[in-house]
Amino acid sequence: MILAADAGNVLVWVVWFVAACACLGSGIAVISFSNPFFSALSLIGNLASLAALYLLLSAEFVAAAQVLVYAGAVMVMFLFVIAYLGGRADAPWAGGPSWQAFAAGAASGALLVEVLVVISLKSSGRLTHEANIDSSFGSPARIGRLFLTDHLLAFEITSIVLLVAAVGGVILGSHSRNPSVDR
Amino acid sequence: MNGPDVVWYLAVAAFLFCTGALGVLIRRSPLIVLLSLEIMLNGANLALIAFARQQGHEDGQIFALAVMAVAASEVVVGLGLIVAMARRRLDLDVDKLRTLRG
Amino acid sequence: MIPAAWICLFAPLGAAIAITLAGNRLSRRAAGYLATTSVLVSFVAAVVSFAFLLGDPPDNREHYSTLWHWLTAGPYQFDLRILVDPLSTFMMLIVAGVGFLIVWYSIGYMDGDDEERRYFAYMALFVFSMLLLVQGGNLLMLLAGWGLVGLSSYLLIGFWHERPTAIAAAKKAFVMNAIGDATMALALFILIQRDGTLNFEVVFSRTGSLGTWAANLVALGLLGGAVAKSAQLPLQTWLPDAMEGPTPVSALIHAATMVTAGVYLIVRTNALFEAAPHVQELAAGLGAATLLMAGLIALVQTDIKRVIAYSTMSQIGYMFLAAGLGAYADAMFHLMTHAFFKALLFMAAGIVIHALADEQDLRKMGGLRQYLPKTYWAFLVGALALTGIPPFSGFFSKDSLLAPALAHGWYGQLLWVAGMVGVFLTGLYTFRMLFLAFWGEPSPFVQEHFHALKRDVVGVSLAVPVGVLTVLAAFAGWIQVYNFWTPISNWLDPVAPPLVTASGLQEAATSVIAVALALTGIGVAWWIYAARRGEAPRTLPLLQHKFYFDELYDALFYRPAVFLATGLYRWVERPLVFGSLRELAAAVRELGFETRSIQTGLVRTYVLAIAASLAVITIVFVVVR
Repeated sequence: MILAADAGNVLVWVVWFVAACACLGSGIAVISFSNPFFSALSLIGNLASLAALYLLLSAEFVAAAQVLVYAGAVMVMFLFVIAYLGGRADAPWAGGPSWQAFAAGAASGALLVEVLVVISLKSSGRLTHEANIDSSFGSPARIGRLFLTDHLLAFEITSIVLLVAAVGGVILGSHSRNPSVDR
Repeated sequence: MNGPDVVWYLAVAAFLFCTGALGVLIRRSPLIVLLSLEIMLNGANLALIAFARQQGHEDGQIFALAVMAVAASEVVVGLGLIVAMARRRLDLDVDKLRTLRG
Repeated sequence: MIPAAWICLFAPLGAAIAITLAGNRLSRRAAGYLATTSVLVSFVAAVVSFAFLLGDPPDNREHYSTLWHWLTAGPYQFDLRILVDPLSTFMMLIVAGVGFLIVWYSIGYMDGDDEERRYFAYMALFVFSMLLLVQGGNLLMLLAGWGLVGLSSYLLIGFWHERPTAIAAAKKAFVMNAIGDATMALALFILIQRDGTLNFEVVFSRTGSLGTWAANLVALGLLGGAVAKSAQLPLQTWLPDAMEGPTPVSALIHAATMVTAGVYLIVRTNALFEAAPHVQELAAGLGAATLLMAGLIALVQTDIKRVIAYSTMSQIGYMFLAAGLGAYADAMFHLMTHAFFKALLFMAAGIVIHALADEQDLRKMGGLRQYLPKTYWAFLVGALALTGIPPFSGFFSKDSLLAPALAHGWYGQLLWVAGMVGVFLTGLYTFRMLFLAFWGEPSPFVQEHFHALKRDVVGVSLAVPVGVLTVLAAFAGWIQVYNFWTPISNWLDPVAPPLVTASGLQEAATSVIAVALALTGIGVAWWIYAARRGEAPRTLPLLQHKFYFDELYDALFYRPAVFLATGLYRWVERPLVFGSLRELAAAVRELGFETRSIQTGLVRTYVLAIAASLAVITIVFVVVR
């Protein structure tokens, strides 16, 4: 176990621990609350703790983008819709064939166990060595240069995806010409 | 570097992913399902960022940004669908949509 | 000669095919002319073959001609071949000649029927089949012709297929013929196994190689076929029912030609029968029994055609008697004269039936002598020939047939007695029929329903063949007179040398006694039916029910077969065959039902499936690496 207890290290470990716990706790909270409003708020907490973790991993630009875009824009949209819809409550683990809940838990648990096994035991030490990085790792300049040189195609396609989504959103949200039939 | 190894971050990412999967499987309201999907995506993002740090390359971060953009688009469309469903007075219950029942 | 023989064989077949293919494009009368012409061509070709054969020396009169090798299987080879020899030309002339006259007669008789074309096609087919039978150069061709005449008979008996009785009669005829076909086929199998071929020259010369068992079995099989085809005991019940067909059919098939095929078979395969003498004597015995039984039944029949049918059965019994004792030429001589006078009787009866609007019941007839004088004379000639009164043809043939029986020992003499009793019966029933139909006062039915025949084509076609046959029935007997002048015996001698010959004394005695008995029979008939001075004895139920053969066969064969069939249907077919299919269908449906439950329609289930599969696949990858 790598528990180097240097002085500067301790801070990092503490921050990591708090952020990780917040992450996990808010994740569980999202899927446990019956009220969707609370679920959405938990998700915002989740995103914030994730941003902290990103900072620990020297991904400053991504952390910033996460907070601005994800927590700021996407979640606000979610909250708008939840407010519009009235936030109907629905209990977790309810409904469906009885075997379904059990099987769902089993499947997710199995996945979790498998991944943990892989990254710890099976990786045979390949994941432990971290590369040396300089201080500008993860800076906006570096990200920007990569976007516009090595990954230009991804950049452009992502823009198109966003455009399509915007158009789709407008269409889905518009009123149809014929009044909708009451079911 | 100080602090936990990349492996710990990956463990957190795995946990997030499986939590999100569980949420997709057991919740009935499409809104919550979408939220759970977001959690899954974020777990994947964390894994990507962790690997980027481990490799010393920012490619993982680029990928994570793209994932974020796609997630946003998907949320737009999903919420638009949910609003349309609500407008037609359909029950916001994933189990109620079963016309494909054989 | 050989090309003529082939033309003789195939001309009627060509007509049959042409009429079938032409369909409605051919008018009905034209179909009749076409069929008649083809049979005439056949007859002319037969005469040509005969003439050429006459030019050959008597010991070199056997000519085979192969058209192609039909079946070749290892060492076995069967060809499509015909034989032109004295016996086959004899039969060709009779079949084609009488056939021509009867088909011509049919033009008038069947005039107005809706399905005349089908009739003439079938008639042409029949003539072809019969010619194939008599011209066949090996037993396989003979069997082929045998089966085809059975088929033509079935088609023609059931010609008026709207009548259920006709259909039933056709089926009965075919089934009984099939029994004979089966026994014949078995006999042929034995021959193939022993001799490796069915060619006449091989099979007849190698009879010595057959053991006693095999020889008896072969002869029995052939006898079975002959008995079935010629309506002898015990397979005789189909012939009276066959009268459901049109009268020309009865004349051609069930009097002149097809039913005589059995006699032809015995004469042709005489070598095989002589190798099994007991079977040959059995044939003679069956013939004698049949002629007595048929004669007795004919006494009580009320349908004019059935009287003539039983008469046919009886006369063929005579031919079997002769062939069974080895007097082959005499049997063939009687076959020839019988063809003439029996066809004549049927055709004259046909004119009567037509004139009375299809009435066949003798009890309703009477006094037709005044209405149909020429028909009456024709009928009288035929009846006299049948009874064996000199100088008509039957006298010569029947007596020459019975006389050799005396020379055969005690068994032959016993059969001779039976034949004599049969002569008495023949006179009785024949003239009963004639007196009832033609003599006396015209019955009320006749007065009401009689309509004269027209003088046009129909009338000519009805009258001329009858006239020709009258002449033949009267004078054809003069072609062989006892032992003085025997062209027929000489002609057939190389093919079928007789086993017995009667002495002059036996011949004379037979003739005198036969004529006396015949005249007695006629006298009794006149006493009862014409002069009405005596009462006809009450008819025995035994005779009325034709010796209960139909009932016997019904109980013996038909009922068990039906029982077996219904049993199998109820216990095997329905539960097992239908049931298994139904179970299969149900099982498939159940399977579909079960599979259906996978499609729950719930999105969550589907996602769960994806997640679970992902978990499983991950394990697989991790383990396998």
